[in-house]
Parts: sequence; structure tokens; C-alpha cells
Amino acid sequence: MKNIRSGITFGIVGGLLTFLFGGWSVVIIGCLMGVGLGMGLGAKLERKDPVQIAISVLPTALVSGAILVLLSIYQNSFVQEAIGKHPVESTIVLYGSLLGFLGAVLFTTLLAALHGLPEKREQQWKMALLALLIVAFPFVDKLTSLRWTAQIIFALIFVILGLGLNIVVGYAGLLDLGYAAFFAIGAYTTGILSSPQHGIYMNFWLVIWIAAGMAAIWGFMLGAPTLPLRGDYLAIVTLGFGEIVPVLFKNLIDVTIKEPFTCWILPGIINLFGAKTTMACITLLEHEDLTAGEKGISPIGRPYLPFIGEFKSSDPIPWYFLIICIIILSVFIIRRLRDSRLGRSWMAIREDELAAAQMGIDPVKTKLAAFAMGATFSGFAGAFYAAYIAGIFPSVFDFSASIIILCVVILGGIGNINGVIVGGLVIMTADRLFLPALKDFLASLLTHTVLPSISNPVVQLAVKDNANPILYRFLLFGLTLVIMMAVRPEGLIPNEQVRAELHSAEEETKE
Amino acid sequence: METTRKKFNWRRFLIAALVLYIVLLIGPIVGLDIPVIYAAVKANPLQLVQFLIIGISNGAIIAIIALGYTMVYGIIELINFAHGDVYMIGVFTSLTVLSVTGTLESKDPVRIVFGLILALIVAVVFCAILNATIERLAYRRLRNAPRLAPLISAIGMSFIIENIGLMWAAQAWLVPSFGTTGGASQKVFPDMLGILFTSMGWNVNLLASSGIALRLTIKDVLVIVLAVILMTALYLFVQRTRLGKAMRATAQNRDAAKMLGIDIDWVITATFLIGGGLAGAAGLMAGLYNNTAWWFMGFRAGLQSFTAAVLGGIGNIAGGMLGGFLIGLLASFSDGYLNARWTNALVFATLVLILLFRPTGLLGEQTGQKA
Repeated sequence: MKNIRSGITFGIVGGLLTFLFGGWSVVIIGCLMGVGLGMGLGAKLERKDPVQIAISVLPTALVSGAILVLLSIYQNSFVQEAIGKHPVESTIVLYGSLLGFLGAVLFTTLLAALHGLPEKREQQWKMALLALLIVAFPFVDKLTSLRWTAQIIFALIFVILGLGLNIVVGYAGLLDLGYAAFFAIGAYTTGILSSPQHGIYMNFWLVIWIAAGMAAIWGFMLGAPTLPLRGDYLAIVTLGFGEIVPVLFKNLIDVTIKEPFTCWILPGIINLFGAKTTMACITLLEHEDLTAGEKGISPIGRPYLPFIGEFKSSDPIPWYFLIICIIILSVFIIRRLRDSRLGRSWMAIREDELAAAQMGIDPVKTKLAAFAMGATFSGFAGAFYAAYIAGIFPSVFDFSASIIILCVVILGGIGNINGVIVGGLVIMTADRLFLPALKDFLASLLTHTVLPSISNPVVQLAVKDNANPILYRFLLFGLTLVIMMAVRPEGLIPNEQVRAELHSAEEETKE
Repeated sequence: METTRKKFNWRRFLIAALVLYIVLLIGPIVGLDIPVIYAAVKANPLQLVQFLIIGISNGAIIAIIALGYTMVYGIIELINFAHGDVYMIGVFTSLTVLSVTGTLESKDPVRIVFGLILALIVAVVFCAILNATIERLAYRRLRNAPRLAPLISAIGMSFIIENIGLMWAAQAWLVPSFGTTGGASQKVFPDMLGILFTSMGWNVNLLASSGIALRLTIKDVLVIVLAVILMTALYLFVQRTRLGKAMRATAQNRDAAKMLGIDIDWVITATFLIGGGLAGAAGLMAGLYNNTAWWFMGFRAGLQSFTAAVLGGIGNIAGGMLGGFLIGLLASFSDGYLNARWTNALVFATLVLILLFRPTGLLGEQTGQKA
């Protein structure tokens, strides 16, 4: 009975999502819903025969799929009218609903049934299925012309950023509120080294490493003086760094550097004695535009591969696979790091700095390594971002970007790689896909159905002005942080150690 | 016998000289161009005094906000990120009260005075309750959690409050002067004090008749006097009253205070109430003095006043006041002689330097390195 209830919930949520996107979206939503439901159901069941499990979850799968399809058909026939769009072609409705239904039922039963296998085999199957979904997604997206891949790439960029910040916050336990600064440094390194701004056109495959190295160097330079500070002071100082870096990039548009001794100190002293001097003033830079300020650097060189050619902004598929490769590489490196001597000393520092220092771990050096490693990954992300957008603007990298990355880590699970990946996908799809769709949906619903029925002009204006969820997206990020801290500080997919640490105080007070 | 005379530390001297040289070399990028500043001061020395006046007045407002940071930090060792945004809400609350009561359009001095007093009361009460609510919702249950948890919660709260301000600034039906430009633009906070004094037939500039080319307005005097009154009242409250004593006890040792029968929850709530009330008062004062209301103004104010609190020695009330005035001066000179866009960077640089070289601040006896 409980299973059926969760099936109904999933079906309703999925169906409501199709309200926002319409058309073919029911196929992808159905498959994703099936994966989620199947994993959820499977985790609760005992390990027994896969076929038995499949039969036992089949009713749930059918119910959820049926609800999804009913809602999606309702959407296509009635809701479209309420938001002032033409009803969708009946063939799309028919095939879309059918495929969505099949996807939901198939994935739910399959994933639940996999739980019947031995644990190792189950993991292998799940990985294979995941790989299949990842590979198939952009092509399905292209076939159904939903254009989600371009947005998913942003989510994946934030996944890398989250993975990097996770090293600093999750493993070493240092709160870095200016992480977007390293992202900016990576992006601007790429921008400066492969754009007409300075006439340097380096190859992307080289620049991405330079960007990562540059971010690491800056992480080191910022960390060296500030890491001896205690946790909350460090947070404020990194916040300051995160605030200064975009301001610098915004304003380094007219840089003049003159050597002070020859230019004014010596002439000034000589002038004091009444003598006139005509000394040569050594000028290093004069009125140099380093970063193009608010205009931003654009265009930026794109990666090139044989067979595929130069990556284009019109075709997101090569970009998608590139970033998937970067993520796989990052996850591999981070896992090795985590289990290495260095990774274990990060965690020792996080648990108890004093005890770790007594065991012979140098806290400052270890923290510095965490800072530099974390910065490296945001350098990768920055380089990819710059090349993908082909234009970088300082306002992208301000404090709010750092907070979004922090949200990714907190929501997913501090110190857990899988958690951070899930967190990044959830937060950024909500931000990039869900909210814009919700905004369009609300706006057209208002103009076609709600506003004409309101007679009072003051109320009408107030409703119209406030029904824009995009304006308040940061409210959602703030709420995420506060609610997660209050309800589930260890995140959606917790790291066991962190969870134990976060709850130890509670247990102490209970006893 | 060997003399204990200290040898001259060449290494340290060289590092200091190198740092100084680098500052002189790349300083001009952020406007720290000494010949240019020298020329500007020489051309108009009175301007220096003018910036001093502006700096002290803004410093008074910063000091009042800094007290909220320093009190909260002193008692629960938490940087209340949302505090600067509570101050921003104070600006909007007072502006809304002034608008709703019709004070903005009125020219009648009596009505303006009553409107302002009402705005002060509402802003103080509202911000006090808001700040205490923030504590109740976001910090209380995390009191025993690891240090990072309440800090992250505080950042989230700051974002939430900023967005409430953003929404508020879009409600043109409530305050018509917000206009139709949406919530993100800077709003005008009408110069009610100027209107009040001109309607009473006074000249706003106290030095107008003296022939000196300076502006020392009644507003400056009023802001500074009000700030000094508030700070003295707070100082007396903390030093002389029973609740103040309980606060000091809780700040020193929470568990011991609890054992002595002090209601810790109430003491902490009271701290947040007082801090929020001060922020509300500072909001009205800043609105009247600087004549702007902006949803993001809490960030800069929060940064400056937090730096002020650290500069004076966090947890130390007198230090917070001193730090406030110093940071106000720094910001004013930076706005005047460098460029307003570098002020935040300069304040942050100051903060880093204090934290690195004197983490206890100027007057701090309570060390920042506790725990």
C-alpha cells in the first residue's frame, strides 16, 4: 500500500512537470521518474528473486505511469488552452504518452528488480544503466527537440565546481565563501589566452591546464596568509576575496603601472632641494585594457578535435560529452585523493585539528593543499565555461555564484561525491530548466486566464508584478541552506562520518 | 657577558620594504596613486575636512550596526551574516511607514516630526522582532552543532532577507515612490530632515553663514548625537542592569551562567532583540542621511560594520564604536580619493590585515582565538 502511495506521488509530480514543459517532455520525465521510483522502492525491499520483486512493484509502476500519462494528456488538451497555446498535435500526444508510460514502467520495475541481485552485480548493472542513460540523453533530447542539453551542461559545470568545493568544505572542513573567484580566474585565464582581447590564440586543450594551474596558484597565494585563521574568520576573508576578484576583472580596463622610484619618489626628493630634474620614468604598462570590463571578453577560442571539428555553440552534444569526460576524470582524481595520505589528513584536520597536529600532520600545509586542489577543479570548470559560452562577464562570478556552489555541496551531502553530483543536478536543473519554465507557464496563465478575471487594477498590478519566480531564485537558495541546516545538515546523500559528526552534539544533549 | 641587545632583523625589514614597494608599484591600479592624491589634497585641503565630516557621520551609523555584530558574536560566537540585511529592512520599514502615513508629501513640520518618530519606533520594533525571529528559526537549534552549521544557516538567512528586500522594493502599490522600475533598482529615500529644517526656516548647513566652504549639516550633527546617545545607553544597559549582567555572564561562560539560574534562551533572544533594534534605528538614520534605499545595501553595510567590530575587538562594545568611526573614515577617504568601487576591496584588505596581525582588535581583551 505504501508503495502504491509513493507511486501516486511520483506520478503526480511528474505529471505536473509535464504541465510546465509540454510536448515530448513526458518521455524524459517518465524515464527519470522511473529511475527515481525504482531506486527508492528497491532500497526498501529485501534481497530476493528479481522476478518476484518485479512482479511486486509492477502495480506501483503501472499506477505511476498511468497518472503521469493522464496528467500529460490533460495538459495537452486543456491546460494548453488556459495558457493560450494551441493544442499539441495528437500524434505527439499519443506517441509521447506511450513512450513516457513505457519508460516509467520499465525503469521502475527494472531498477527495483536489480535489487534482487547480489550487491556487486547490482552495482555493475546500475552503473551500466546509468552509462546508457547518460549517453542516450542528448540524442533523445535532440530527437524530441526539447533543447535541455544546453541547460544540463550548466548543471554539469556546477557539478565540477561542487566537486572542487567539496574538497575544501567537505574533506578539509574549511568554509570557503569565495569559491567563484577561482572559477573566475579559470575563465579569465582562458579568455585572455585565447581571444582577440590580447591577440593570443592558444589551443583549448592547452589552455584548460593553464587555467587549472593558474587557479591553483591563486588558491595557494590566497590560502598562504589566511589559512592559519579560524573557521568563521576564514569564511569572511574568502568572501572578501570572492568579492574583490570580480571587481578587479570589472575594472582592470585602463591599467597604468609606473615604477615609483624613477617616476615620483626621486624627482620629488630632488625637487625638495629646488633642483629641476628630467628623469626618465620607467613605465611598465600604459592604459592597457586587460579584461575588457563590463563588456566582457568575447569571442573565445573553442576546442577542436579531429573527426568532430571545432565545437559549435549550435550543437551542444560534443560539449556535453566533453564535460562528462571532465567529470569522470575529476571524480577519479578526487576519489584517489580522498583515499590517499593527503585525503586522510584532510579528514583528520576536519575532525580535530589539534589532535591531527599532535599526530604529526602540518595543519597549514594540509589545508593549503586542500585549497589549491579545490581551486584546480574550478579552474577546469572556468576554462570549459569560458569556451562554451564564448564570452565572459565579471558579474557572473559574484558572491551569489559562490553561494550557489555552496548550496550544491550542502544539498547533496557534505563530503560525498555522489551527493554533490546529485545536488548539482537538482539545483541547476531547478534553476535553469524548472524556474524559467515555471515563469513562462505562470506568465501565460496569468495573461490568459487569471488577470482578466481580476477587476481591481491595484490587485491586478500587484499580482502581475510578483508572479515572476526567476526574480526570487536566490530566495530559494537561501531557503535551501537554512532548511538543510535545520532539517538534514548532512545533505540528501550523506557521508557517514560527516553525519555522525553533525549529530554527535544532539546525541550528547539527549543523554 | 653577551649583551641582550636585539639584533636588527634584516629579513623582516626586507620583506616589509618589498611589500611597500609592491604596494607603491601596483597601488595606482586601485587608485592608490600617491602623487595624484597629494595633488588633490594640496589643491583643496578643505575637502579633507569635508571627507572627515562625512566619514564620522557614516562611521556613527556603521558603529551602531557593528554593535549588533559584536554583541551577538560576544554571546554565541556566531557571525550573524543576516545582520546587515536586517539594517536594510530597517531602511525599507521606515520608508514604508513614512509613505503610508503620508509624511513624504507633507510640508508641515509637526507632522514630519511625528512621522519620523513613528517611523523610528516601527523600524526599531520590527527589526528587533525580525532579528529575534531569525535567531529562533535559523540559529537556536544549531547552537550545539559544529561551528560551520550555524554560519551556513546565517548565510542562507542573509540571502532570504535580501530577497525579501528585493520583493519589498517592487511593491509600488504600497510605496508609490518606488516607481515601476522593479525591485532591483536603487530607490530614493526622500530627504525628510532637509525638508523639515527648511520648512522651519533654518539653513541646513550650519557653516553657511561663516563663509567657510564646508558643509556641516544639521543632519551630520543629528546622526552623530543620536549614535552617541544610543551607544551610551547600550553601554550603560550592559554594564548596569541585571539583564546586561546576565549577558556578560553568558558571554563569558554559557554553561556556568546556566548553572547560576540564568535563562540562556531569553538572554540570547534579548541580545538579538537589542541588536536588531539598533540596526532598525541605524536604517532610519542611514536612509535620512544618505537618501537611498536599496535591497543590496545591507551587504556593504554588513561588511563594513563587521570589519569595524573586528577592528575594535569583536565582543567588545567600546571597541565596536571605535572601529565604526575608523572604518567610516577609511570608507569616506577611499570613496573620495581613490574610487568608490574600490572601497569594499580596501575594507576587506583592512579586515585581512587586522585578522592576520592583531586578531584581538584594537581594544579586544576577549580574544578572537577562543575555542
